[in-house]
Amino acid sequence: MKKFALILAVVMCLSVCISAFADQVTVRFFHRWPNEPKLSYLNGLIAEFEAENPDIKIVTDQVLNDAYKEKIRVLVSTDDIPDVFMSWSGSFANNLVKSGRVQTWDDLLAADPAFRDSIVESQWPPFQIDGKQYGVPWSMDGKAFFYNKDVFAQLNLSVPTTLDELYAVCDALRAAGYEEPISAGFSAPWAVSHYLGTICQRVVDPETLARDYAGQGDFTDPGYIEALNIFKKLGEYMTKDPNSVDHEFARNAFIFGEAPMVYLQLGECKYLRDDVDFDYSFFNFPAVEGGKGDPGQLTGAPEGMMISNVASPEVQEAAVKFVKFVISQHGGYEMTKQTGELSCVKGALDETNLDAKQLEAVQLILNSTQPALWQDNVTDAAIADAFMAGGQLLLTGDKTAEDVMKDVQAAAASIQ
Amino acid sequence: MQQTSMVNKTVRKPGKSKNMLPDRKMTPGMAIACFFLLIYFLLIAYPIFWLIMNSLKTYKEIYKNIWAMPQVPQWMNYVNAWNRGVSRYFLNSVLVTGATIVLTIFSAALGSYSLARFRFRGNQLVFMLCMGGMMLSPQVTLIPLYQIIRFLRIKNTYLAMIIPYSAYRIPMMIMLIRSFFLTIPKEMEESACLDGCSDFQIFVRIFLPMSKPILLTCCILIAYYAWNEFLFAMIFVDSESLKTIPTGLMNLRDALQTDWGTLLAGMTISALPLIILFFCMQKHFIRGMTAGAVKG
Amino acid sequence: MSKMTPYVYVLPCMLLLGIFVYIPLVANFYYSLFSFSALSPMKLFVGLQNFRTLFNDSVVGTALINNVWYCVISVAVQVFLALVIAALLEDRLLSRVSTVLRTTYFLPVLISMTVVALLFSFVYHPKIGLINAALKAFGMKNPPAWTGDPKTAIFSSIIMSQWHSTGYTTMLFIVTIQGISADLYEAAEIDGAGRLQRFFHITVPQVREMMFVTMVTTITGAFLVFNDVYILTQGGPGNASTTLAVYMYRNAFNLDKMGYASAIAVLMLIICMALALIQNKAFRSGKED
Repeated sequence: MKKFALILAVVMCLSVCISAFADQVTVRFFHRWPNEPKLSYLNGLIAEFEAENPDIKIVTDQVLNDAYKEKIRVLVSTDDIPDVFMSWSGSFANNLVKSGRVQTWDDLLAADPAFRDSIVESQWPPFQIDGKQYGVPWSMDGKAFFYNKDVFAQLNLSVPTTLDELYAVCDALRAAGYEEPISAGFSAPWAVSHYLGTICQRVVDPETLARDYAGQGDFTDPGYIEALNIFKKLGEYMTKDPNSVDHEFARNAFIFGEAPMVYLQLGECKYLRDDVDFDYSFFNFPAVEGGKGDPGQLTGAPEGMMISNVASPEVQEAAVKFVKFVISQHGGYEMTKQTGELSCVKGALDETNLDAKQLEAVQLILNSTQPALWQDNVTDAAIADAFMAGGQLLLTGDKTAEDVMKDVQAAAASIQ
Repeated sequence: MQQTSMVNKTVRKPGKSKNMLPDRKMTPGMAIACFFLLIYFLLIAYPIFWLIMNSLKTYKEIYKNIWAMPQVPQWMNYVNAWNRGVSRYFLNSVLVTGATIVLTIFSAALGSYSLARFRFRGNQLVFMLCMGGMMLSPQVTLIPLYQIIRFLRIKNTYLAMIIPYSAYRIPMMIMLIRSFFLTIPKEMEESACLDGCSDFQIFVRIFLPMSKPILLTCCILIAYYAWNEFLFAMIFVDSESLKTIPTGLMNLRDALQTDWGTLLAGMTISALPLIILFFCMQKHFIRGMTAGAVKG
Repeated sequence: MSKMTPYVYVLPCMLLLGIFVYIPLVANFYYSLFSFSALSPMKLFVGLQNFRTLFNDSVVGTALINNVWYCVISVAVQVFLALVIAALLEDRLLSRVSTVLRTTYFLPVLISMTVVALLFSFVYHPKIGLINAALKAFGMKNPPAWTGDPKTAIFSSIIMSQWHSTGYTTMLFIVTIQGISADLYEAAEIDGAGRLQRFFHITVPQVREMMFVTMVTTITGAFLVFNDVYILTQGGPGNASTTLAVYMYRNAFNLDKMGYASAIAVLMLIICMALALIQNKAFRSGKED
C-alpha cells in the first residue's frame, strides 16, 4: 500500500507543475514551433531574455501546426489562456479576439511609436479587427510559383504573367518531356486551400469575396465556379494522383529536377538551399483574364504574437517586454538566420542572414500590393473545409465545380 | 463467455501430442497453402525489414533510392530521434503506462475483492455496471469526457491520460480478477481470520499474493492498451513535454519538412519495447491477450 | 466487519467508472440535443435538429458505408481466414516452421498504429511506394493511387488494418485449437478423415465459441475504427475515407460542432448496442442446438 501511495504521489507531483519562485514574474508562452531548428532558436532567445531580465521567467509550451490551431482556440476560451501566444492573421485572429481575452496594442503602440515604426507597414493591417490592433506581426510569407530557370532558359520560356501564358508554358514543358510540369502534393488539404485561396482572390469580386468569407454571403457568385474550374484545369498539369503525395514530396520533385515548377511558400527557400543544383526563381500567381481581383496581391499572411488581457498587470507588462524582445532587430535577425522564416522587422534582413534567393523573396513580398490572407485562415473552418475537401475531389473527377460550391454554400448556411 | 479453463492454457509446441500419427505427406492443396503462408510471411516481414533499413539512410537516399540498402548506415538517425523528443515521449509512455497499471490494478482488485467475498446490497448492480462498462468504447463518450476533463482541470496533465485509461480498463480487469478470487478457497481466509486478520489484511496478505498470475496477465493487458492508446492522448494532452509515443511521433512529421530518416528511426525505437516484452514473456503475453479477447 | 466495508472497497472503481464512463455516456444524449462550441459556455437547445441534419448528411452515409466495408472485410480476414491460417499452422506438416511463422504474424500487433500508419504511408506512396513499385515491376501501367483516390482510400486503410490485426486473431485461434483434445483428431484420422474433413468436423465446431468472441470484437471494432483512418488518410481525399468516429472527431475538434458530434456518437452507440443484441441472440440460439 505504501508503495502504491508513494508512486501515486510522485505521479501527482510530476503532473502538477508548480513554479515556486516567489519574486519572479512567470510568463507563459505558447507557440507552434516544437521542431528544430525553430525550437532551438526560440529557446536561445528566451535564455537571452531571461539573462537580461532576471525577474522574468518564460515558461513555454509548444505543439505543431494543426494541433496548435485547435488547442489555442480552446485555450483562449478559458482562463487558462497563455500570457503570450502566436496567431495567424485574418479570421483565425478574429476567432481568438472574439473570446474577449486578447489585449489590444493600440495604447501600447501609441506610447511606443518607435516600436510601431520598426515593423514593415503592410504587415500590421492583417491583425486589425474592427479598427483595433490585436496582434504584432512577427514573420511574413508569400506563396509563389518556383520555377527551374535552367529549364526555362533551355526551352526559351519566359515567366508567365497571365493564366493563359501559364497554360502555354505548361504545354511547352510537357512537349519537352516534363509529363508533370507542376509538382503538387495535396495529401494535406491545406495545400489545396493555398491554390484555391489565390485563384478565388484573382477571380471573384473583392467585396463579394470578403462578405462571403466573413460568413455574411452565400457563395453564389459565378466566379467561384470559374475559379474551381481553373484549379481543375491546372490540375491536369500537376503531379498525377496529387492527393496521395504530400507537399514535401512535391517540393523534392522540384528540388531534384524532376518537375520544373512548384507552388511554394517563400519561407521554404531554406529547404532548397542545400540540394538544388540548378538556378531557380519565383513568380507571383499570374493574373486571370477577366478576373475581378487585384493581380498584384500576393497570397500569404504574417504570423504574429498576441497577449492576454486576463493576466495580472505585472505579467502583462513582462509579456509586452518579451514580445518586443522577440520582435526586434536582434530577434528578427536571428530568426531569419537560424530558421529561414522572414522577419517583419525593418532592417532585420540583409545579405548576412539571407541568401540571394531569400532577398529576392523579400522583394516579392514588399513589392506586392497587399497580402491576401490564407484561405483556411481567412474564413470559417467549415467553409474552408468544404473548399479543401471539394478541391481534392475536383481533381479526381469525383465532384464538379458546381457540386463543390453546393457543399460550400451548405457549409456557409450551417454557420449562420 | 466463460472460458477460464482455456485462458489458463498457453501455447505449447505445436502438434506435440499429435506427432505419433502419420499424414506428413505433402498434398497439392497443402502446397498451395504453404505458398500462401510464405507470401503472408513476406508481407509482414518485408515492410518491417524495410522500416529498419530506411531508418539507417540519409534524407536524400530515402527520396532517391527507397529500395536500396543504406550506403553508409546512419546511426545518427537514432541518436537524433532520441534527442529530438523520442526520449521524452518514451519516458512519458513509461510513466503513464506504469501509473495506469497501478491505479487500475489497485482499484479493480479492491473492487473484485468486495464483489467476490461480500454479499451486500447493490452488489448485483455493481457487477452489472462492470459488465456494461466492457461494452462501452471510449469513442462514444469522447465529447462529454473532454468536457469533464476540462471541468476537473486535469486537461493537459498526465492524469488526463491515466484516469480515463484506468476507467475504461477497470471493467475487464474486475471480470478477470473477480473470477480468479472466487476460486480462492474459503478455508484460506478462515484460517487467516483465526489469527485475527482484518478484511484488508486478508486482501493484502492472502488474495493479492495468491493472484499473482492473473495480476500479471492484467498488467500485460493494461500495458498493451496504455502504451498504444492514441485518441485520448491526442485530445486531452497538448504539450509536447507530456506526449506519449503514439501521439509524439506524429509531431516528428512536420507540415513543411520531415526528417524521414529520423522519423523512421523514432518509429523503430518506439516499436521495440513491446516486442522485447513479448519475446521475454511470451507465455504470459499470449495468455494475457487471450484473456483480454475472451472477456472483452 | 463494518457494514460499510464492501462499499468502501468498491468505491474507487465505481467512482472512476461513474465519472469517466457512465456520466459521459448519459451526458452524450443530453449534448446531442444542443448546438454548442467548445469555446463558449453557451449551449443552444435545438431539440432533434442535430439528428435531422444527421439523416440528411451525405457524409454520414459515406462513413456508414465505409464502416460496413471495414466490418465485412475484417470479419472475412480476421475471423475466417485467420482460423484457416491457425489450422494450417497447427498442422503437423508445418510443425518445424510454425513457431517462426506464428511469431512473425504476431509482430504487427505489437507495433502501435501510429507507427504502422506512418509506415504504410510509404507502402502506398504512388511514386516511391512498395506496392506500386511492385505493380510496375509486374508490368502494370497505371497502378492505383491508393490513399489519394476516393475509390481506393478506404480500402488502403482496411488492408492496413488487416495487416495489423490478423496475427492477433490467428494467435487466439491457435491457442484454442491447441486446447482441443488430440484424441478427437486421432480418432478421426483412424476413421480415414482427411485434412478438410478434420477441419470442418472437429476444428470448426470446437472453436465456435472463440469464433463468436472474435466476431463480436471485430464487428464492434469496425464500427468504431478511428486511429487507422485518422492517421493514414485523415478521412480524405475529401471525405471519401471517413468513418463515423473520424467524422465525429472532425466535427467536434476541427469544425467545433460539439452538439452535432455528440449526435454522431449517439448513432455509433445505437449501432453497437444493436449489433451486440443481435449477436447475443444469435449466439444463444446457436448454443441451444
